Amino acid sequence: MGIDRRTFIQLVTGGVVGSLFTPVIWKSLDDAAIWSQNWPWIPRLKYGQITEQATLSKFGPSPCSLTVKSVGGSPYVVKGNVENEMSKGGVDAISAGGAQLLYSPSRVNGPMKKVADGKYESISWEEAEKMLSEKLSAVKGQAGKLAIVSGDATGTSSEVLSAFAAGMGSSDCYLMPGDEQAAAVALDNMGGSGQIGYDLDNSDFVLFIGADAMNSWGSVVRNQRVYSEMRPTGEDLKSVYVYAGPFLNSTASSSDKWIPVAPGTGAIFSLGLAYHMLNSGSSASASDFADFKTLVMSRFTPDKVEKAIGVAPGVMAGLAKQLMSASAPLVISGSEFGQGAGAVDIIAATALNMLLGRVGEKGGMKLLADLPLAVDSAVSRTELSSRDFAGYLAAVASDKVKAPEVLLAYEANPVYAMPQADTMAAAIAKVPFLVSFSTWMDETASKADLIMPNPHSFERFDDAQTPYGVGVAMLSACAPVTEPIYNGKSTIDVVLGVASGLGIDLGYESAEAVLQAKAEKAGADWDSLVGGAAFVSDSTESGSLKFAASVLSKAVAMPKGGEIALAPYAKLNVGSSTVAIPPLNCVTISKFELQGKDLFVQINGVTAKKLNVSEGSKVKLTGTGGECVARVHINEGVMNDVIAAPLGFGHTAWDVFSRGKGDNISKILTVGTEPGTGMAVWTSSFVSIA
Amino acid sequence: MQQIEFDTKWTMVIDVDKCTGCGACMVSCQAENNIAPMEDGSNKLKTLTWLLVYELNNGKDFPERESAYLPRPCMQCGKPACVPVCPVVATTKDEEGGIVSQIYPRCIGCRYCMAACPYHARYFGWFDPIWPEGMEKALSPSTSTRPRGVVEKCNFCHSRLLDARARARAEDMDPNKLPDGWYKPACLEACPTGAISFGDSKNPEHKVHDLIKDKNAFRLLESLGMDPQVYYISRRDWVREQSDNHLPKDKH
Ligand code: SF4
Repeated sequence: MGIDRRTFIQLVTGGVVGSLFTPVIWKSLDDAAIWSQNWPWIPRLKYGQITEQATLSKFGPSPCSLTVKSVGGSPYVVKGNVENEMSKGGVDAISAGGAQLLYSPSRVNGPMKKVADGKYESISWEEAEKMLSEKLSAVKGQAGKLAIVSGDATGTSSEVLSAFAAGMGSSDCYLMPGDEQAAAVALDNMGGSGQIGYDLDNSDFVLFIGADAMNSWGSVVRNQRVYSEMRPTGEDLKSVYVYAGPFLNSTASSSDKWIPVAPGTGAIFSLGLAYHMLNSGSSASASDFADFKTLVMSRFTPDKVEKAIGVAPGVMAGLAKQLMSASAPLVISGSEFGQGAGAVDIIAATALNMLLGRVGEKGGMKLLADLPLAVDSAVSRTELSSRDFAGYLAAVASDKVKAPEVLLAYEANPVYAMPQADTMAAAIAKVPFLVSFSTWMDETASKADLIMPNPHSFERFDDAQTPYGVGVAMLSACAPVTEPIYNGKSTIDVVLGVASGLGIDLGYESAEAVLQAKAEKAGADWDSLVGGAAFVSDSTESGSLKFAASVLSKAVAMPKGGEIALAPYAKLNVGSSTVAIPPLNCVTISKFELQGKDLFVQINGVTAKKLNVSEGSKVKLTGTGGECVARVHINEGVMNDVIAAPLGFGHTAWDVFSRGKGDNISKILTVGTEPGTGMAVWTSSFVSIA
Repeated sequence: MQQIEFDTKWTMVIDVDKCTGCGACMVSCQAENNIAPMEDGSNKLKTLTWLLVYELNNGKDFPERESAYLPRPCMQCGKPACVPVCPVVATTKDEEGGIVSQIYPRCIGCRYCMAACPYHARYFGWFDPIWPEGMEKALSPSTSTRPRGVVEKCNFCHSRLLDARARARAEDMDPNKLPDGWYKPACLEACPTGAISFGDSKNPEHKVHDLIKDKNAFRLLESLGMDPQVYYISRRDWVREQSDNHLPKDKH
C-alpha cells in the first residue's frame, strides 16, 4: 500500500488532533510560559506593613489633601482625604501619581552650582548656603537688586519669602501669575478687602464665564467634588451649571449649557447680562451705581453686545432671567487657563453678583478674611496676590526696569511658564545670579547659577491657606510621610538660616516652627492639621463694594473682529506650571493633543476652511513674542475663529516623559496692559497662521 | 458559553455625565497595578491602560456639538468572549463575584482573547516594563509585575477584594457579604467627581443594586449579549445611543 497525499494529510491531521487531546503539550506550554516570564530584570515586589498617612500635595495650582499608602515605609499609591474640606476627598491627575513622582528622573538630588559650559557640579549645603549668603549680602539694603518669585500661592513659605525680601530692602517679591491676581486687583478697585471666594457648595445656579472650573480655575479638585455632590448619580440635580467660553472644554461638556464666547471677552458678556438685569429693575446700593447703570445702558445694549461677541440678545435675556429666578445664583469669572485675565472680567462678574444681591450671601460671592500672618514683617496675602510679576518681567525685558542682581525662584518655573515665554526668559537671562529652589530639574533650574532643591511635598513640612476660589477661609498642613530620598533641604529652612546670617530676624528657626505658628495664630490645632484635618474659618470682611464703573469704562474695549483668537487651556493630567508631564501621565494624554512629538491644536471645520487647513495639517502659529509649531485637529467643539491649544507641552528640560514633546503655547501669548488698572494681561492673544 | 451565576456580582456603575475626563482614575490604576510608565503614551495601539477614558461627541457641527467622557475598564462580562478562546486557560470567570481573572504566568501571549474582546479591554505588553531608577520602590505590593509578551487587563483591583474579605474575617463577618464601600477599586478612590460607583448588584444594601435599574442606565454593546458587569448612566440620549452602535434608522 502506498502513501498518497490524502493518506498523508489524514495522518498529520490525526496526529495534530491527537496532540490536542493530550495534556502534555499544554503542560509544557504552561511551563514554558512560566519559565520565559521569570526574567531577572522584572522587579520583585516589596512586601511589608501597609500604612496610611495624611499629606498635602502641592504639584498643581491648587493643593490637594491626600492619604498616602505606604508599604514598608515606601509610598506607592494615594487616595483623597475625605476628612479634609480643602479638597473634599478628591485627587487630581498629578497627585494620583505623587508617590511615583518621588522617584521622577527629573528630581534634583542635591545642591549644585553652575560651572563652565552650562554644566553643574554637586556641592555641599554649607557651600551652597555660603554662596547664596555672599551674593545676598552684596545686595542687601539696595532696592531693586533682589527679586523673588514664588510658585506657591497658598503656603506660608511665601510669607517667609516676602518677609525676607523686605528685610533685604526689596519690594520685588511676587507670586507666579494666577487668577487670584486679577481678583485681588479687582477687589482693590471695588474698594473691598480680603480675598474673593465663591460658595459653590450652596449655590443652585452657577454661571462660569471663562473660568474652567474642572481644569484650571480655583481649587479644581474641590470644584469637582462640589459638582459631584450637587449631581448625585441616579438622583435629581441640585444645581444648574452654565459655561460661557471659547470651546467645549471639560467644564463646558459637564455643564448643562455651553454658550460660546471668545477668549478675553468675558467682561462684555457680563455687562451684556447686566443690561438685561438693570432693564428688569435690578439695582444695588453702591456709591457709583448710577455711573455703572449709565455705562451699561449706553455701551452694552443687546445689539452692541451681539455685534461684539456674537451672543444673540435672546440668549442673553434668557440667561439673565434664569439667574434672576434662581434662588442662589452665582457668577464666576476667570481666565480659560487660570492666568492672564484682567481685573475687569472679575469686576464685571462681581457687578452681576451685586445686582443679584449675592455678595456675602450663602451660596454667593464672599470676601474672605486673610488668616493672621505668621511672620510679622511679611507682606499681606492680598498685597502679595495683587503684585504683577509678568508686568515686572516685561519691564525688565524692555529695559524700563533694571534687572535684579539676584533672582530667587521658589517652586516656580518662570523660564518655561510665563506668557510670551521667550521674551520673559530673555529678561531672566539678564539676571547675573539666578537661584532655583525647585524639587525638579525644570527649565529655570537648568538655567540657574545655584540650585538648592526643596524636598518633594511628601518629604517636607508644608501648609496651604485658602486656595483661590474656595468659599471659606481655611488652612491645611502636612508633615513628611517618608524619609527624604535625596539630599534636599526645605527652602524655608534655607531662607531662615541665610537670613539670620545676614542679620535679618524673621522670628523663627525652622520651617516647622513657622508653620506651627501660622496654625496657632489662625486658631487651628497643628497636630490635627498634620493629621489631615482642615481648619475652616467663617470670618469674612465687611464693607460694601462699588462697581468701579470708571475702571470698567476705560478697560472694556469692543474687539476689532476678523482675527484668529488663541484659546489656551490647561489640564492637570499634562502637569501644571510647576510640574511637567509626570511619568505615569503620558498615557492619559489625548491623541488629539499629542502624537509622537507633534502637538495638536484644535479648530472647527469653518475656521479650517477659512485658513485653508485640514485634519493633520502642520501649521506655524505666530504671536507677538514667538512662534509655535503644531498640527491641526478639527474639533467642532471649538467656536469660529478660535484656536484651542493645550498648555504644558514643549518642555526643554525635565525628563524623557516630557522633554521635546510638542511646543510651548506660552510662547505665543501676547502680554498687554489693561487700561484702567495697568496690570499685565494676556487672555486676548491673537495669532497668525502659516 | 454557559453563564455561571454567583451569589455576589461585583458591579461598577459609571456616571458618564459626571466624568470630566481628568485622568486621575487612569493614573491611579497605573500606580495600583504596577503598570510601568511609558515614554510615548501617544501610541495608543501599544500603550498599557487597563482603564481608558474615551472622548465621545454627538457628531454635530459647531455650535450644536456636545461631548462626554467615557471611562472603560474590563467589563467582567457575564458571558466573556475572552475566556473560551484562551488555549491555556489563563483567563477564567469562576470566582465568587464574577471577576474575570487573568493569570499572567500562564499566558502564552497568543492574543486570541484580545481579538475576541469587543471592548478592547485587554492589553498586550509590547515592551519590557521599565521603571526609572528607584521608581521600583514605589511598586504596589498588590499586583505582580508582568514581563512583555503577556496579555493584561483590569481585574477590578482584585487584591482589594481579598483585603476586604480578610478584614471581614478578622471582624467575624461573612467574607462573601461585604458591606457597601468596603471594597473599592483604585479608580473609584481617585475619581474627584464621584463618577464611579461600585458594589454588589445582587445585594439590596449596596447602592449599585438600585443604580443599575436607573432609567438612564445602560451597558456597552448590550446587543452582543455578553452581559457586562459594568453599567453606565447618562441623561443624554446621544450618549446612550452610541453605546450600542445605534444607527439613525434603528428604533430605541
Ligand atoms: S470586557 Fe473583554 S476582556 Fe473583559 S471580560 Fe469582557 S470580553 Fe473579557
